[in-house]
Amino acid sequence: MTVAIHTRALNKRYGSHTALHSLDLTVEAGSVFGLIGPNGAGKTTTLRLLLDIIRPTSGEIEVLGQPPRRDGAALRRRIGYIPGELRLEGRMKGRTVLRHLADISGPVPSGTIERLAERLDLDLTRPVRTLSRGNKQKLGLVQAFMHQPALLVLDEPTSGLDPLLQREFLAMVREARERGQTVLLSSHVLSEIQQAADDVAVLAEGRIVAEGAVSSLRIASVRRIRATVTGASPEHIRTALRAAADVDDVDVATDASGELVRVAATARGELDPVIRAIATGTIRDLTVEEPDLEESVLDLYARSGEGS
Amino acid sequence: MSTVSASAVEQQPSRQDRQRPVPLPVTRQWLGQGWSGLIGWSAGIAVVIFIYLPIYPSMQSPELVGMVDALPPELVRTLGFESITTGAGYAQATFFGLLGFALLTIAGISWGAAFIGGAEESGRLELTLAHGVGRVGFALQSALAVVVKLLVLGAVGWLLIWALNGPAELGLEPANLVAVSTAWVGLALLSATAAFAGGALSGRRSWGIRIGAGVAVLGYVLQAAANNSDDLDWVRRFSPYAWAYGGEPLRNGYDWTGLALLWGGSIVLVGVGTWALSRRDILG
Repeated sequence: MTVAIHTRALNKRYGSHTALHSLDLTVEAGSVFGLIGPNGAGKTTTLRLLLDIIRPTSGEIEVLGQPPRRDGAALRRRIGYIPGELRLEGRMKGRTVLRHLADISGPVPSGTIERLAERLDLDLTRPVRTLSRGNKQKLGLVQAFMHQPALLVLDEPTSGLDPLLQREFLAMVREARERGQTVLLSSHVLSEIQQAADDVAVLAEGRIVAEGAVSSLRIASVRRIRATVTGASPEHIRTALRAAADVDDVDVATDASGELVRVAATARGELDPVIRAIATGTIRDLTVEEPDLEESVLDLYARSGEGS
Repeated sequence: MSTVSASAVEQQPSRQDRQRPVPLPVTRQWLGQGWSGLIGWSAGIAVVIFIYLPIYPSMQSPELVGMVDALPPELVRTLGFESITTGAGYAQATFFGLLGFALLTIAGISWGAAFIGGAEESGRLELTLAHGVGRVGFALQSALAVVVKLLVLGAVGWLLIWALNGPAELGLEPANLVAVSTAWVGLALLSATAAFAGGALSGRRSWGIRIGAGVAVLGYVLQAAANNSDDLDWVRRFSPYAWAYGGEPLRNGYDWTGLALLWGGSIVLVGVGTWALSRRDILG
């Protein structure tokens, strides 16, 4: 297996605060690797270290076979990067900003900027400071993808994008992988990583608390479920939910007419038992809230703590 | 400039037929986006020159001599008005020593502070450095942009004064006008590179401006103090303003020691800024 990114015993301290504790990370070339964790877990620090924007306190980094600090300019021509907090100011038009960056990271195949902008529905003629949060993020995506780099390092790439564009982004990531590009992507949204990534590492408080193929990694997904059901017995649903493992906060109530049964529950694992319990009636309405990653990771963190 | 590089990108027919990256992309970028500002500063310099220099013939009167004599001698020495009745003295006192100095220095400080400190604050530095340019390359190319912009303004000032030399009866030696312009640009460059180094050391534009302005103000105050007190004459040695104008280049031609201190000092400050940027974390 070829390795695109490898870090060993990577530490980053800011004064007395340790942002990363002895991080060992390996990203296989040609794969999509997800880095997830709550805010402040060290995702941005890790990605900025790979780009040599910040320097490690100790430890080793190799990106595409090179230490990022030595001959960094040539290496970064082969990397596309979106900062976690993309800011764009100034009166320059989007097109001008992108062409300046293309001059630096050059060469960009002809028409690529326009094609990417059209795909993401980004207006290149507007001054960048007038762009909305989402449009700035689109420009960030264009500058990361435009020179078709061997490695894409994307820090919270979908923040500010609407769901339609998030889907377009996921398609771009899939296409990049098909072309053989490696993608390292951070997110605090679990579902995004689950849809895009082959492998995943979970960061919490500057340490990797879990790592592996997305399919094999059982992240305790905490989901809040709300449903409205007709033609079912509330007692039956209540009993079924209470009997299920990893289902908490069960609340089953009937409305005034006695026809509608409102169900609320929190699933700390599989959704299946909850769905089976409510499907004894006719489901009129169903909401499954995005898993709360912070809660999930803390849960995982606590469990890995117990194990050691 | 940006259109040239843009069309160069568009002309690439395929990935196989890629052309080499453009040289000095960061310098081009700063110059390309700053041309409107450069025109504004040029206009400011032109206005000052056209307000002050054409009235020189009408100022050569007993009234002016009497007026300067009536001013407090400390003020005359501070403003450098001792030889205001000659063309060289007048151009020096009204333009190079005062408003021209202020305009070029302010322009230089604003660019010096913006190109690293300002870029870092706005998040632009992180985005640019994630592309194919190293820290040293970015710093040196940015410093080069400061030098080029100040040289353009210096050339504008030199050209306009040279054009007015005959009509305004200034009687300036062309070679001496080049000498004083070189000192003028060097003086502004020293403050600009101090601002550049301040921004590179701190990552903050405001610190760049403070340090650059500090160098300029201190230089002016030190020479003014030296002009007013024989006891303090030695502080002149530490004044960049005196390095530039102490030898009266508009009357005497090149002052090589002064020029070496100004331009050499600028090189040292660019080196300090580049070194600082290459060694530290980029602030988020």
